[in-house]
Amino acid sequence: MATSTPVGAFPSPYSIETPPGCEGWEEMYPYHAFFAEARRATDENRFWFWNSMHFPVPMPAFDVACIDSPYQAVGAWQNRVFAVPPAMGIDYRVINGYIYISGNPVTDPAKVAERAEFFQRRAGYYYANWDELYAKWRTKVEALIDEVTNLRVPELPEYEPEEVIFDDARNTSFIDVLDAYQRTLRLGDLMWQQHFEFLLLGYGAYATFADYCKSNLPDIPDQHIAQMVAGIDVLLFRPDAELRRLARLAIDSGVDAAFVEGRSPAEIDAELSQSEDGRRWLAELEKVKDPWFNMATGDGLYHYYRSWLDDPSIPYASLIGHIAALHAGEQIDRPTAELERERDRLAEEYRSLLEEPARGGFDELLALSRTVFPYVEEHKFFCDYWFLTRWWNKLREFGALLAKHGYIEDAEDVFQLGRHEVASALDELLLMWATGGEALGPHHWPPIVERRKALLAKLADWTPPPALGVTPEAVTDPMTIMLWGVTTQRVQEWARAGGGDTNELIGAAASPGTAEGPARVVKTVDQIADIREGEILVCTITSPAWAPIFSKIRAAVTDIGGVMSHAAIVCREYGLPAVVGTGRATSQIRTGQTIRVDGSTGVVTILAGGEDDGA
Amino acid sequence: MSDAGGHSRPLAELRAVDAAAFGGKSASLGELITAGIPVPPGFALSTSGFGAFVEEAGLAGRISSAVADLSPADLDRVNAVSSAISEGMRSAPVPESVRAEVALRYAELAGDADPPVAVRSSALGEDSQDATFAGQQETYLWVRGADGVCDAVRDCWVSLYSPQAMTYRARVGAGGAAPAMGVTVQLMVDAEVSGVMFTCNPVSGDPSMVAVNASWGLGLAVVGGEVTPDDYLVSKVTGEVVRQTVTVKEIEYVPGAHGRGAVRAEVPPERRGTPCLDERRLAALVALARRVERHFGCHQDIEWAIGHDGELFVVQSRPVTAVAKPAGPPTQLTAISLVMSRFGAAGDEGGQAAC
Repeated sequence: MATSTPVGAFPSPYSIETPPGCEGWEEMYPYHAFFAEARRATDENRFWFWNSMHFPVPMPAFDVACIDSPYQAVGAWQNRVFAVPPAMGIDYRVINGYIYISGNPVTDPAKVAERAEFFQRRAGYYYANWDELYAKWRTKVEALIDEVTNLRVPELPEYEPEEVIFDDARNTSFIDVLDAYQRTLRLGDLMWQQHFEFLLLGYGAYATFADYCKSNLPDIPDQHIAQMVAGIDVLLFRPDAELRRLARLAIDSGVDAAFVEGRSPAEIDAELSQSEDGRRWLAELEKVKDPWFNMATGDGLYHYYRSWLDDPSIPYASLIGHIAALHAGEQIDRPTAELERERDRLAEEYRSLLEEPARGGFDELLALSRTVFPYVEEHKFFCDYWFLTRWWNKLREFGALLAKHGYIEDAEDVFQLGRHEVASALDELLLMWATGGEALGPHHWPPIVERRKALLAKLADWTPPPALGVTPEAVTDPMTIMLWGVTTQRVQEWARAGGGDTNELIGAAASPGTAEGPARVVKTVDQIADIREGEILVCTITSPAWAPIFSKIRAAVTDIGGVMSHAAIVCREYGLPAVVGTGRATSQIRTGQTIRVDGSTGVVTILAGGEDDGA
Repeated sequence: MSDAGGHSRPLAELRAVDAAAFGGKSASLGELITAGIPVPPGFALSTSGFGAFVEEAGLAGRISSAVADLSPADLDRVNAVSSAISEGMRSAPVPESVRAEVALRYAELAGDADPPVAVRSSALGEDSQDATFAGQQETYLWVRGADGVCDAVRDCWVSLYSPQAMTYRARVGAGGAAPAMGVTVQLMVDAEVSGVMFTCNPVSGDPSMVAVNASWGLGLAVVGGEVTPDDYLVSKVTGEVVRQTVTVKEIEYVPGAHGRGAVRAEVPPERRGTPCLDERRLAALVALARRVERHFGCHQDIEWAIGHDGELFVVQSRPVTAVAKPAGPPTQLTAISLVMSRFGAAGDEGGQAAC
């Protein structure tokens, strides 16, 4: 991080320089996404934090759709539908390819009171009818998944089929392509709309329960609150449960020798397909894939995150791990009965420790939190993984169409263009297909794609400061606190760390216990496969889709996230120490350094190989 | 075996109702024993022992006339009266009836050995929760032999007329009434570690925590504030150590020469900075704290000791009085209205949500 700023403050967003060789990075992003001079008076005096939870690496041009749309959706629900009294929506800005966000507060007391009336009525209706509304939500989202999966991206034929003439009911292909592309974009918007329909209220109920516990039981560890609420038999654990079953099946049917550490899924499949038993196992795997391989390889806001169907390296790494664990005589099943007993015991114990009049509120809030929690956990599977991995794949089909006509070299290159640029390229393609004229696109787009790929690679080496702008006296935006775990205390720690001891990082104590071991810094999905037994995972944020690799690691450290983050939940499940929300673990810690993680106090210490290189 | 006479009973026979005659400490130890809590065995002397002493020494009249119009502000007179009464008491013999009972009870405790015991005052009104009467908290450790015990008992009685105790009584308007005191005699725990624990966090008021203070050696150092003890906050629910501060413990109290009396000693350097308690011992303490709390039905302030043999004992327990009350939200609200106010009132320090 730049150290020209005084300790205890964050750099001004207007003081951040473009890394050498990255000039022109702005071309990848919409005009409204910058710290522009016209907004300086406002933007310089706000608190911005790097949303490394959702956007840990520089943003490809197309993926900006996964900023615009979710922030439209979250703002629409929070500000315009539910009218959350003290908070409107969340603004974002891009700097050097990284996304900084800041909530818009409502400060006028009269306005807050006015909004409270809307909120009471509207949110009250949702809470009172949660199960029914959530069931409807499932139907809506499953319909979106279905539609995006089956949406047809038309070819551009030499001659239109006879139906256009004789059935009088068909559009020509240029209309079909335009429709398909617009519909694909709209499906994304619709999914984001559904994604946020319940999120705010779900987290809100949980946060209220957490507050209630803390005001009556001031020293209660955060993880106990989470444990009382978290689901035991939730959908997100099913994929890994299926893998454990398949691991056992591989041993029982004598094909386990194929699963050797370091082998690729294709190599394993090739060996399995040579025997009758191996083929039977592969058939069994096929059955599991729908729907359980619709997990993503990371929290799905980038096109990089493929589904397990597209990239089976995570489930196969997990199978290898499970089989090795079974051979070592370990118990690999999630002890669900035990987890459930412990969850109920905690709730009963804490309840009995409260004074009689406080028990009613505790019971009600716990019940409400448990009602909303399936949504909080499951929306990720449906929206972030299942839908989004299909959506990216659909866009790859448009990429293939452009590549086929020479507008880009490879289908994957489509993600280097903004969604409006893709629309523009399709416009020209359809025009040239119709006119038979000479296309300019094949000369225009490929150099742009190449330039942007180079920019993204260079920007990836830049380390964004955890925050910019003024240090707030208090963080009050409920979403900032609930979703990102960015609290007043966390911000003050970041501010202090700006000029402090870089061998010690402080975050939220998310899962108790201590561990020492070699660090493995994972910034991108393709680095997950590098994780080795006994390492400590250091990442920006983990995804539930990574759960399988948690059987290999000793502890986890993340840049962002609160004790309700998935890394925290999964670590508690696996009994691994975890510290989340350190702000800068992936930039301060290097792979191979020996680190100590104290998940009870929230301190991460670099022990060896940790000379401060004066960054 | 409990018919030694009218002035004493084994601790195990005492119940809460006996506080009036034996003082709060002895009665509460009796309660703990009933509840199956490990308490060093011992016996209690009732106030009648003290009464007999004053009577036989012919001190009653002298005392009441001396304290009758004593003003707590007149410190010189308080001091003079105190030393006169104390001197009178010290030169008077412990009544034969009491002496014989003490000898018998002491012998019952340990057979023919000469075991070390702790002799403590057991004040009246201690269970009224505000009566840590100054000067009535005398403790004599590593006392040996029946004569030694009798001397220590008399020293406890004398402490009733310390200047602090007399001023205190005068100030609370109890100056006229004849004071009285019970005495507790218990086998000594040869403590490796000892300390105090609360069945809640007295600072935050959290009832789900046990707050433990611990230091090396006998409990005197912690109770008397002569060391900054190790400080542990442990969850009652899971036994996890939520917070711990390990301090440098410079001194400890150990048995004196020939195992008589307690002396202040320097802690060897290698032990000063090490934690006095490990997770296993903390777990045992928390389990014990919960049993004591359950028995009395309210938060307790417990003195405990762990012997060199690893055995854990409670040596005293009394109700906690000055506890912070957690400022819980209004309790009559429904879950939904609580959630509503969470969103509506998020303008005040939301950082506490920490979720």
